[in-house]
Amino acid sequence: MTEETSITGSGGILRKRKIGKKKSNNAKKKMKVFQGTGEKVKVDRKMKKLFRKRVKEYNSDDDDDDDDNAADKSFLNKNQGAYSEKNGYGTRKLGADKLDEESELSEGEDDDENIEVLPTVTKFAEGCRAFRIAFKSIIKKSALDDVLGPILSGQKKLVAQKLAEEESEKKLRGEAKKEKLLIGEKGHIKPSNYLDSHEKFLIGVATKGVVKLFNAVSKAQSTQKGLNPASSKDEKVIKKRRKEAFFTALGKRSASSSDTSAKVVASGEPPSWAPLRDNYMLTSCKLKDWDKMQETPEDEDVGKSSHGSSSDDD
Amino acid sequence: MARFRDKKRKVFVKPIVQKKLGAVDHVTGDKIPKSFVFSRGKLPGPLRQLQMDLRKLMLPFTALNLKEKKRNSLKDFLNVAGPMGVTHFLMLSKTDASPYMKVARTPQGPTLTFKINKYSLASDVAQSQLRPRCPKDLFKNPPLIVLSGFGTGEQHLKLTTIMFQNIFPAIDVNTVKLSSCQRIVLLNYNKDTKLIDFRHYSIRLQPVGVSRRIRKFVQNHQIPDLRNLQDVSDFVTRAGYGSESEVDEEAATVTLVSNLGRTNKASSKSAVRLQEIGPRMTLQLVRVEEGLCTGGVIFSEYGYGAEKKLDKREDSQIEDSDHEEDEDDSDNADEMEEDTENGNDD
Repeated sequence: MTEETSITGSGGILRKRKIGKKKSNNAKKKMKVFQGTGEKVKVDRKMKKLFRKRVKEYNSDDDDDDDDNAADKSFLNKNQGAYSEKNGYGTRKLGADKLDEESELSEGEDDDENIEVLPTVTKFAEGCRAFRIAFKSIIKKSALDDVLGPILSGQKKLVAQKLAEEESEKKLRGEAKKEKLLIGEKGHIKPSNYLDSHEKFLIGVATKGVVKLFNAVSKAQSTQKGLNPASSKDEKVIKKRRKEAFFTALGKRSASSSDTSAKVVASGEPPSWAPLRDNYMLTSCKLKDWDKMQETPEDEDVGKSSHGSSSDDD
Repeated sequence: MARFRDKKRKVFVKPIVQKKLGAVDHVTGDKIPKSFVFSRGKLPGPLRQLQMDLRKLMLPFTALNLKEKKRNSLKDFLNVAGPMGVTHFLMLSKTDASPYMKVARTPQGPTLTFKINKYSLASDVAQSQLRPRCPKDLFKNPPLIVLSGFGTGEQHLKLTTIMFQNIFPAIDVNTVKLSSCQRIVLLNYNKDTKLIDFRHYSIRLQPVGVSRRIRKFVQNHQIPDLRNLQDVSDFVTRAGYGSESEVDEEAATVTLVSNLGRTNKASSKSAVRLQEIGPRMTLQLVRVEEGLCTGGVIFSEYGYGAEKKLDKREDSQIEDSDHEEDEDDSDNADEMEEDTENGNDD
């Protein structure tokens, strides 16, 4: 029975007021009657049906209804208690009575204004339903299935555009970064866990060089066993021994010309005899005139390369 | 505030004390070459690591913690190099094409520019090995250098040889201690590809004919695990697994003059074992300049003075186009003559 509580438009109210006046008087009378009797009113089923039907048909907008209503009222007066079931209606009427009393003070002016201001009329029930449907639909919508989240539909396109732009920018930036990293890593290679043939060959070459040097060292230092080359005491003895060793080597050299120490000697400058110079047996290659001494080392290099992989140890 | 500053300055001046380390070897009396390793321009991460590795390689006669700033020019380094006795610069730089390494002799040059085709860091090399080796005093002595395959008689190669020989202190065969020879730098030139392989190894000597167990026992002085053995003699007699490189043992053996460590006794045979430390580089000599990063180009991989040649070509082309019109007539006449000659021959 929601239709019972229907908001009535201004026109209705205006007309009702007058009716209400009558009604209020009636109600007062009725109430008095009601209280006075205090007995329970019996309502026939037929009557009840009829009442309901009439209530359904009731429309405050129509002028005719008012008459009906009035008839109702009069009817009600006869069958008091009929309203006891429809309490809401009754209370509303009572509220309306109060309103009427207030409006009585400024009746003439109010009437004209109200008519102008509120021209449209909507049923409360209809409004409620529409509102409910709208509200439900909003609640039903989950923000999850929309990528953008809850956004006013008008701006949806703009926001999507902006997001797409941002994404593309991010991508570009990431690519630039990656490229930079790649350039930075250019040439950087992680070695494999096993030794490939090239690495083995290189290790072999290095080993050969080390062995050559160590052998030369052992040969040179075998003459000065037990003496400390750094101390001045042993200096003379060492020099003597070295000289002897050198001369014995010279004697041998005529027989076998390939000697590691001899090579070092030979790579010096040709004009003066190498052992007489101060820097004998030291690094003889000077950077100063590297392009002037071409002939002697070249021959040597050829000899070396014929040995196999030539290696120079310093 | 003033006091604080004084303290700071003292800290900054400290490195000069290193000069005492000696610009001159006190046994042989040779000048000891020193080096700076630094970068020109901003380097990416791996190359900065490579720079650090190179500094470690150049130890002990290099500035390990050399700080460089963006505004430091080559002149700044040169000014410091004089009083510090620094003789060589190693400069790393990078372009979009590839990283480069310049090796220069300090006051006057020459400068060798190498293109680094490939490189691996020391950490990469260590990661690839099962048991990377790094004894405490590995970097306390300068490395030996072995140059191989440079004897092709070409000038720039000779210059490269000399440059790298002089970058490390010379070794006097009569006085050198074998215990100080811990590392070796190998430069191997490949004639066909014109690439130089740059490797860095640690040297280890092991007595020949001694099983690994006993060697370890002598080395570490730790009580061995005898749980699985029946008798003590088993520990000595039972042979362990064969050594990993038994094959070329003969070529890699050395007879020592003096004791070296606990395991290598004098006049006993020892095997030379090398293990890579890194960094590893494949270099290509691109250019040789007379001065320190300036001066005339002595050698260029892409032809001597490639740019000049290009200019000349352009000039000649322009001249040709001028002359062409004049010569056209005469050319035609020549052709006619030739034709007639041919006809006569037939």
